[in-house]
Amino acid sequence: MIALALIVVLLPLLPALATPFTSRARPLGALAAASGLATLAVAVGLAIDVGGGHRVQALSGFLYLDPLSGFFLVTIAVVVALASVGSAAYLRAEEERGELRPLQVRLYFIFFAIFAAMMLASFETGNLGLLWVLIEASTLASCVLVGLEGKPVSLEAAWKYIIISSFGVTIALVGTLFLYFAASDLSGSPTQHLTWSFLFAHAHGLSAQSLRLGFLLALIGYGTKVGLAPMHTWLPDAHSEAPSPASAMLSAALLNTGMYAIIRFQALTHAQLGTQYAARILLIFGFASVLIGALFIVLRGNYKRLFAYSSVEHMGIIAIALGFGGVLGFYGALLHTLTHAIGKAVLFLTSGDIVLRYRTRLVDEVRGVLSVTPLTGAVLLLAALAVAGSPPFGLFLSEFTIVRAGLARSSIVLVAALLVLLAVVFVALVGAVADMTLGGSPERPTAGPAYAERSGRLLAAAPVLAGLALLLVLGVWIPGGLNQLIMHSIHAIS
Amino acid sequence: MVTFAAIESLSASSPEGVLLDIAAVLILLCAFACLGSKLFDRYVIYYGAQSIVLSFAAAVVALHQHDAGLWALAALTFAIKGIGIPYGTRHFLIDRFALKRDVALSTGLSSSLIFGAFLTAFAFLAIRAQTVPNGLVAEAVLPISTAVILLGALCMVVRRHTIAQLIGWLIIENGVFLGAIATVATFPFIVEAGVFLDLVAAVLIMIAFVSGLARQLAEASAPELRQLSE
Repeated sequence: MIALALIVVLLPLLPALATPFTSRARPLGALAAASGLATLAVAVGLAIDVGGGHRVQALSGFLYLDPLSGFFLVTIAVVVALASVGSAAYLRAEEERGELRPLQVRLYFIFFAIFAAMMLASFETGNLGLLWVLIEASTLASCVLVGLEGKPVSLEAAWKYIIISSFGVTIALVGTLFLYFAASDLSGSPTQHLTWSFLFAHAHGLSAQSLRLGFLLALIGYGTKVGLAPMHTWLPDAHSEAPSPASAMLSAALLNTGMYAIIRFQALTHAQLGTQYAARILLIFGFASVLIGALFIVLRGNYKRLFAYSSVEHMGIIAIALGFGGVLGFYGALLHTLTHAIGKAVLFLTSGDIVLRYRTRLVDEVRGVLSVTPLTGAVLLLAALAVAGSPPFGLFLSEFTIVRAGLARSSIVLVAALLVLLAVVFVALVGAVADMTLGGSPERPTAGPAYAERSGRLLAAAPVLAGLALLLVLGVWIPGGLNQLIMHSIHAIS
Repeated sequence: MVTFAAIESLSASSPEGVLLDIAAVLILLCAFACLGSKLFDRYVIYYGAQSIVLSFAAAVVALHQHDAGLWALAALTFAIKGIGIPYGTRHFLIDRFALKRDVALSTGLSSSLIFGAFLTAFAFLAIRAQTVPNGLVAEAVLPISTAVILLGALCMVVRRHTIAQLIGWLIIENGVFLGAIATVATFPFIVEAGVFLDLVAAVLIMIAFVSGLARQLAEASAPELRQLSE
């Protein structure tokens, strides 16, 4: 078990170890794809192990796995697997066009590997201090990916990203400090005072005042990483400037890492202060995010920014679900985490194909994707429908659960407001993508096929088709194992 | 194992308490000096001085607690924050791109100093009444550390040059560290070492970005970074 937990973190690092020997995207991409898929297999194995409510704790709490960690491990591993295969195709195409120098290819695979490994590791620690260290490390690795292309615009986005999120995460460190301070009256060693399972078991002994402050600061700090409004400003820039498979990782995996930390803090707050306090704050930030997301999606402009604002909106929905609380609320939040991760990974990977083919990131310069490249067009349209919350895809089911959670809590006004915002987002997002895919012939000539060879095309199509299929399955059927994993996760934090 | 009780009961009138108090005030003064300066090499000098005083404060707490981990942290602070980062920033950015005077200020120096004074007063009013019992060293040091955090944030807001923002963030980090040693000594050593590692990695990446920007733009300052405003 402990061996598996280490393997799942070390596996994604394999491509980084190969970079001294080659700088060609083809072998590195193949290795990345293989290690991504292997990581997914090991993560599923781990989740099955802890899925029955089993917990593992070792190294005085620095290694800790419970069903909630298992759930997030699987979610992120799915994204890592999809994005690794996507990277193999995208980097090969960029290399063939001479857009990337060998050094950039090397840097991409090194930091992609570190990024994935740090995120996966952060779900495996029970020490909230180490959790902070790993989350900050994953941010730093992803910064390099954002600035990889080295153009002034991407460096600008990377600078904005690193400075805002480092500032935010420093606030989360202060929050962690206050939590540590709140535990000073407990018995036990200093290390235990940062260990989540110990704190959760002794939550009633935490000092209420410091805990309140600690939660608020942690929410603002990690919320900066999650992209909750008004701390979201780095997010659209970073997501639109990063290479598309890296955008997929940012949007579908990194944001969830921050949300995971918030859920851990929320559980402690619930256990000591009751549900009201955390719920109110989460609802405020959640609605602010959905509102900001909806407003900027209406603006259109750059389609990668559009998808990025959609991430702000979805993170808001998850925060609202956590705020609604109860079994339904948490169930909706976790299911939405998984479905949004898959949907957004598919959407960003597909947007990579469009960037490669059209060489533009503006909605209004892309027309007729469906007739130019039928497969990409169809996937883009379906993925946009899925992300906007249309049945029969998984996101419909999770959003429906969240709405039910709100009704169960009899917050009719909040539910109505949420539904209105979701409708706005649906019309705006699907409208923009429909213009891109169905609208007349392209206004500017396309740059030719995205991938020179058939194998590249297949490699690019595989992850998006697999992701769409997964979303479709989750929309109509939740496997028993997943259901059990989510139920035990809820049990672990309540 | 030393518990928090030791640091929480560190009274303001004990010799260690007095030393910590003085160190905290010097750290606050360095933050003000940075806020009131316009020359790039001064920013770095003041940050280095602040970090050296901070390492001294950590050593005082380590002496009080007899804690080997804290001694190691004090040494790390001195070597990395006091010497390494200031030297690196100077060598790789300021000297290399011959940067002299920071002109990208959104607010005049005097008004930002006055605003800084208000923030310091606010930190005292907001923190003093709360959480910490009377008569302890933390009672004075915690508001000061909060003020340092706010001053660092102010530096990041009124200065738009990327190097000034980098230094502002580092000052915030110093404020957090000061607050930590005054209230709970520190996190367990492994965690604290990880925090240090992240800090160093962040500074290295930031230096790489700033030099990339400096090569491409005449002034690597945020007003030029407005292609992505929407």
